[in-house]
Amino acid sequence: MISRQSFDAVILGAGIIGLASAYYLGLRGKKVLVLEAGGFGHGSSGACDDMILLQSKKPGINLQLSFKSLELYRQMVRDWADEELDFLNLGGMILIQTPEELTIMEEFVQQQRDNGLDVTILDKKEMKKYQPFVSDQFIASTYSSIDSQVSPFAVMRGYLRRIKQVGGLIRFYTPVKGIKRGSSGTWAVETRSGETVSSEVVVNAAGAWAGNIGHMVGEYIPITPKKGQLVITEKVPPVGKTNLWSARYMVTKLRPDLVQAEGSGNGIGLSFSFTRTGDGNYLIGSTREKAGYVKENSYEALQAVIRQAVDFIPTLRQVHFIRTIAGFRPATEDGLFILGEHADSPGFFTAAGHEGDGIALAPITGKILSEMVCGDSLGEELTQLSPNRFQPKEKIHG
Amino acid sequence: MDKEPAEEVKEKEVLICRCEEVSLADIEAAIDEGFITVDDVKRRTRAGMGLCQGRTCGKQVALLISKRTGIPLEQLLPSTARSPVRPEKMGIFEGEPDA
Repeated sequence: MISRQSFDAVILGAGIIGLASAYYLGLRGKKVLVLEAGGFGHGSSGACDDMILLQSKKPGINLQLSFKSLELYRQMVRDWADEELDFLNLGGMILIQTPEELTIMEEFVQQQRDNGLDVTILDKKEMKKYQPFVSDQFIASTYSSIDSQVSPFAVMRGYLRRIKQVGGLIRFYTPVKGIKRGSSGTWAVETRSGETVSSEVVVNAAGAWAGNIGHMVGEYIPITPKKGQLVITEKVPPVGKTNLWSARYMVTKLRPDLVQAEGSGNGIGLSFSFTRTGDGNYLIGSTREKAGYVKENSYEALQAVIRQAVDFIPTLRQVHFIRTIAGFRPATEDGLFILGEHADSPGFFTAAGHEGDGIALAPITGKILSEMVCGDSLGEELTQLSPNRFQPKEKIHG
Repeated sequence: MDKEPAEEVKEKEVLICRCEEVSLADIEAAIDEGFITVDDVKRRTRAGMGLCQGRTCGKQVALLISKRTGIPLEQLLPSTARSPVRPEKMGIFEGEPDA
């Protein structure tokens, strides 16, 4: 039972984006209800790594918003003294294998430096000082001291508690059946269990499922799931001083066309990411697969991810793996997430499509969303993220 | 017979998840906060995220949720099972044919 019938905003999805949105709306005095089809952290926010990675961001709006998001995380660490967020600032390195990759990364690093990111290229000798266990096949690396990480579960739990403290409601295991616009201009949201609530504003924060929600109101939201599989190790002492990625991770993320053109038996979008959680387990990734909504882990991916890890860091052959996970990265066509109000559906907002950047960008997404809902005057650059930038392939009737 | 307060405190310190050292008090606090499935309690407390992946504590967590919330035990699904069945060294795939 939902104990009241009308809200200022109903948020669909209690992943880290939905919870951040509800939290910031709550801070602005809005009465919010969060409806989540699954349980706590059941979707992509609970099946990802923990990175707040600045180095992976394209210069432009993603990088600029990542700086702001990191600042909001630092503020959370200061203000939420009663939460252990496992926020760590270990820095990050991108491992470079070939002279071709080195050329691409030198150019990319220069662009990032021009955009205010403190990042450099290290030669092999310098790299080994930070990463003595990395295999000799790597010829260089990048290094940035700013890359950080945070526990997604802890952040989500922190948001949950604070949403409730300001009177917000959250209902798990409550999928939505339909959304209709009433004559008075408010939205009626009906749950599958048959309850209906009305709200001035609906926020679609359904991640990889945001397109389905859009369909309910006749809006075209081109988000597709890209499956990412990861392996979790037992707790071990630190292997190297920073978290790691491969240059291929960057290429897979920034130029998927190049990886596909390459072929190289990489039909699962394999690239390397290696991050140590606050608890001492390593999260090793990952794949980027077009696999619909099939959430099972595959033996092929497990084998490929682990072989690559042992190849890159041979000492890992002695380390046990204890778990595999899979999550759907909500991907857009142009690599930018979606944030804003739909022009043809006043009061209906989408905040989704962050692909692999959801943890990093959650606080700033929630904050800007709340400012949009409250009608604050915002920077012109945010129109890049507007849901109205897509042309529907065919007219959808909700 | 009522327990002495001292014994009561000790009981709350009993470890339900030995791998991740999660106590009875931690589990009960999570349930009271509204985490009322085995998966949700796991994601809140880490109970079941360790070496045994909940093989030891999963049923006890389900029982505690049932007792505290009144949800029938048979309605509480176990936590999602995923590979590997037991911890295995990552070197195991060396020399193995491709999947």
